[in-house]
Amino acid sequence: MGSVIPLVLAAVAVVLAWIAPALMARQRRLRRAPRAALVAWQAVTVGGILAALLTAPAALPLVLDGDEPLEHVGWLAVAGLVSGAVLLRLLVSGHLVGTRLRAARADHRDLVDIIAHHDREREQVRVLQHPTPTAYCIPGRNARVVISQGVLDALPPDELDAVVAHEQAHLEARHDLLLEFFAVAHEAVPRPFRSERALSEVRLLVEALADRAAVRRSGEVATARALVAIARSRAPEAALGAGSTAPVRLKLLADGPHRAVSAVAYGYAAMATLVPLVLLAVAWT
Amino acid sequence: MPVTTSTPRLGELERVVMERLWEAAVAGGPDFAGATVREVHHSLEGERELAYTTVMTVLDRLAKKGLVTRERDGRAWRYLPADTREALTAQTMRRTLDDMDVTDRRTALLHFLDGASSDEIADLKAALAEVEARVEGGDSKGRRRRGLRR
Repeated sequence: MGSVIPLVLAAVAVVLAWIAPALMARQRRLRRAPRAALVAWQAVTVGGILAALLTAPAALPLVLDGDEPLEHVGWLAVAGLVSGAVLLRLLVSGHLVGTRLRAARADHRDLVDIIAHHDREREQVRVLQHPTPTAYCIPGRNARVVISQGVLDALPPDELDAVVAHEQAHLEARHDLLLEFFAVAHEAVPRPFRSERALSEVRLLVEALADRAAVRRSGEVATARALVAIARSRAPEAALGAGSTAPVRLKLLADGPHRAVSAVAYGYAAMATLVPLVLLAVAWT
Repeated sequence: MPVTTSTPRLGELERVVMERLWEAAVAGGPDFAGATVREVHHSLEGERELAYTTVMTVLDRLAKKGLVTRERDGRAWRYLPADTREALTAQTMRRTLDDMDVTDRRTALLHFLDGASSDEIADLKAALAEVEARVEGGDSKGRRRRGLRR
């Protein structure tokens, strides 16, 4: 029976890396519990990676204490190849993605520091002298919140506070690390199996989470108004592809949080990480 | 403000030097032929005690970043802003990290809103009305109302 476990682990890896994300991206209800949903996404990703990496260790007992060790050497080699390839892809992807993001952020931050005005009250905030409303953050060391003069001119104080609170929530909760982790995992998957949808779903959840920080600061109405105001002033440029995240996020503000969804997501997350570990334990007993 | 590494300090100097060059370009009008290291150094005197070589380093870094151009003038270099601050800002707004692919760009910088399309506006207004009605119209479904202060 032990000989089946490496195969099962490899299958679990495929399920968690490929099938589960596709199914999860379709579960709109998860969005009502963004924190728990993000934990579930991380768990599925970690679980998939674990399952792949543990395929070789799970095949080891076949050779070490099997009746006919030589017969199983081939299996071990295949399992080792699978685990090794996944490890290599992850390391390479981690290095490439990390380097790229750090360089891009640092360059952009340097530029913004030179061309933008510094906010006297808020040390992290930079103001670009431009009428088009925009707001974003540059994560990393020496993080910045960047807003344009257009935002300052268009939004009343409570809505402006909501926008800044949203961006600061990204920085304080280190959402950049979260997104970087998903980006690394995404790029480690061979191109035909990558799911853009999974990545944009995760991005939406991160935004929904930051929106909650904005709500805590300025209330639901001010947060919703800020979203609509910025969407309206940017509407002519059109979003890339199929619309922006604004309608969904507004709907989430209207719907409010959902406890039951949250509980299900945490349960699912626990399962996704435990299954590979349990399988390894079984292989070694 | 504690200075822990030299990078933020250099960044700060880049900003000040760039501002001086922009000011000089505005003051000089269309005939502005650039400023030498000595002139920039001079314009910072009294405000900051900087070594001449520091100003040179900063201008060199700015040239490498493409923010200033330089022309030979006898034995010295004259430095000019490559663009006005306004043009540079507009360009930054229009095409932030344009050379990266979309996935990378969206991970590098987190935007409050990733653009919007005109078709969405009607939906957005309706959804906003819904939020307003829910918050202002009382607590009919027993949801928490953390956001409402006043």
